[in-house]
Amino acid sequence: MSKEQKIRAVLFFTAVLVFIIGLPLILSSSLGYKFNPRTFKFTKTGIIGIKTEPEGASIYLDGKLLKDRSPASIRELLPGKYNISIELENHYPWKGDVNVSAGQVARLENIILFSLRPDIRQINKEKVTGFWVDTEKAKIYYFDAKENIIYTSDLKGENFQDVGMLPEIVPAPKKWKVSPDRKRAVFFNPNQIVVSDIGQEEGRALPDTAVILNFANRKLVDVFWHSDSFHLIAVTDRSIEVIEARPEAVAINMVDLVRRNTPCFYNEKEDALYFLDTVDAPGAKPIDNLYKLDLNIKSSPFLNLKKPKSDE
Amino acid sequence: MNNEMRLKRFFEIMPGALSWGIIIFFIVIAFINPVICAVLIIIFDFYWIIRTAYLTTLLVMAYRNLHKEKFRNWIGECEALVPAADWRKVYHLVIFPVYKEPLETLTHSLESLRMSDYPKDNLIVIMAYEERNPLARVNAAALEAEFKDEFFAFLSTFHPDNLPGEKRTKGANATWAAKRAREFLDTKKISYENVLISCFDSDTCVDPEYFACLTYHFLTSPRAHQASYQPIPVYNNNIWQAPSFARIVEVSSSFCQLIESVRLEKFVTFSSHSMSFKTLVDVDYWPVDMISDDSVIYWKAFIHFNGDYRVVPLYITVSMDAAYSSSFFKTIVMQYKQKRRWAWGVENFPFIAVGFIKNKRIPLFTRLKRAFNLLESHVTWAVWAVILVLIGPLPILIGGVAFNTMAISYNLPKITGMLFNFTIVTSLTWVILSRTILPPRPKGVSWTKNIVMVLEWVIVPIAILVLGSSPALDAQTRMMLAKYMEFNPTQKLRRVV
Repeated sequence: MSKEQKIRAVLFFTAVLVFIIGLPLILSSSLGYKFNPRTFKFTKTGIIGIKTEPEGASIYLDGKLLKDRSPASIRELLPGKYNISIELENHYPWKGDVNVSAGQVARLENIILFSLRPDIRQINKEKVTGFWVDTEKAKIYYFDAKENIIYTSDLKGENFQDVGMLPEIVPAPKKWKVSPDRKRAVFFNPNQIVVSDIGQEEGRALPDTAVILNFANRKLVDVFWHSDSFHLIAVTDRSIEVIEARPEAVAINMVDLVRRNTPCFYNEKEDALYFLDTVDAPGAKPIDNLYKLDLNIKSSPFLNLKKPKSDE
Repeated sequence: MNNEMRLKRFFEIMPGALSWGIIIFFIVIAFINPVICAVLIIIFDFYWIIRTAYLTTLLVMAYRNLHKEKFRNWIGECEALVPAADWRKVYHLVIFPVYKEPLETLTHSLESLRMSDYPKDNLIVIMAYEERNPLARVNAAALEAEFKDEFFAFLSTFHPDNLPGEKRTKGANATWAAKRAREFLDTKKISYENVLISCFDSDTCVDPEYFACLTYHFLTSPRAHQASYQPIPVYNNNIWQAPSFARIVEVSSSFCQLIESVRLEKFVTFSSHSMSFKTLVDVDYWPVDMISDDSVIYWKAFIHFNGDYRVVPLYITVSMDAAYSSSFFKTIVMQYKQKRRWAWGVENFPFIAVGFIKNKRIPLFTRLKRAFNLLESHVTWAVWAVILVLIGPLPILIGGVAFNTMAISYNLPKITGMLFNFTIVTSLTWVILSRTILPPRPKGVSWTKNIVMVLEWVIVPIAILVLGSSPALDAQTRMMLAKYMEFNPTQKLRRVV
């Protein structure tokens, strides 16, 4: 056998030896076993895995500072309850008790250490009484109720632009919402809906063609835009109505409500209104049910009511 | 189907069945018991780390040999042989099996022979063309005009198409050429024992000292006719022009061959190599119906000599073209097909299994060991990347909440990460060594290419994903399903700068 082949044989058997010795150690450690050289016995232990945001925080285990900073794994822990404290300068600390089981990992992986000095800054530069953040177009819509002006900026609070005006309405609008096509905004108080154009063409004078829709004998609870940006879904204290956002439009009463001021949610993606209403149960207390009003144009008929109107 | 055919078919199915069996076993066990699957993956990961470390050490040893032998004056060593041997009586018969390779590639290969420092009067060159190529005779005439008087003999042979019992393989063409060479040697009354035959890929460019080195080893090796002589294949002809992906793969191929060169008990001929012409005739030439003629010829000789046949490593390089094409995607496809052709070397397994059963004069242990080594190497090739890359994350992905709260689920990605970090260390060794086997930077290639050639090693994981196991799995599946591959030479691109 040549010298090279002898070296290779030594290397080979060394590799085999490392594998034979190393494998049980790696496997036992992976499964959570700790070898006690005094007793020559394996003890099953557990792990605490810690991840924080930001990283680099000090970790205290039962009050004792550990060498590793986060992210870190605390291994070979005997089963039991441990107190963990995580500290980072200029951040709120995190504290908690963790139960460690044999062969298990307790994951503390969603820890956010919030700054003691949060990053807060003023965005608006003009007066503002209401706002809406358009995450899709990365814009902020502002409403100044005193001047009745609608204006926009980007998310950093730069590039301000007046986009619309609102005629004075009394009482002052309770809520407002921008249409899906971002060309109109709807404002409403308990008795009136006002739709204002917020057309964006460059250099165009502010539009002043507001649409005013009156709701006598009932109080508006909420108003939603249909995805077509032309219809409005008005939830009043006694009915759900659909109305076109144009002057002198007549509302269609879709549902009569038993429940007053019903909680409702409009899903613009499917054009469906979810709402609660009360049903009288003979010989029992009235019960509330959740209903879905499908207003999707594609699902014919246009107004596919899941709950029959009370007069049907 | 007779018994031998049935037996051969059984051994054809075995590698693919084993590879798929292992993969399916891992997937099934990941669903049934993710803990056991994770344990098996950790065992495999650890085995792979040890194996990579061991093989990288062998690579360094082989590289040292290559570096050491680079400075030897082989002609001088032949002259100084004690007892004096008449090395000048050793003839070198070089066969270039050619199909559609461009004239420029062939001229480049022949130029390297012309530059050889071995006496040209001892070189017999045969350009073995396929008659079915309409340009064969035109190319033959052009090359004969240029090289006819450069060597002791420069012959052109034209292998007829569709001879009985033959497939369209390189081995069939080389065998036809070797038989014509035998007729030529008979007319010149040159003893086969004094002729060493080198069957080279058509893009093979030899080192100027190759034939002197080969002659020295032939004259100094015990039982010299019972050995093949294997140089180190490098892909330096166009390595500076090749895209990163192709370069990484080809350099890795050279490294694999370097590693094999120190594992003598497993060493098998690959690509361009040399052997005694007498032995070639004794074993009845290359197979005419198998694609992997370069390795099958070794096994034919191994069985013929009852197991007493070996491969002698020559620490001298033969340079070939890196396989690449005009676009990244085409290069990947080309590399894939080339690696699949190499992986088709699995056809050696049924060949030797049947041969070993028939030849009882080979010691049983030797037969079992060699068959196991061959089977293990092909099965490992087909499954390692699948296990590491695809099956590795399975227990965590499908283990569910119960598994993900276990210590082993927490440790599994950490061990995989450790494996990856270790691979980076070994890759660094490979990067450093890769720089040393490169030819000098040609004129017209920017110096910044040096930086690219170091940074490009970060694409190793992609190369592993694309070319790690899939070509081998593909080849084994084809053989398992009796969808036999046809020989399809890699059409390589060579840019002149």
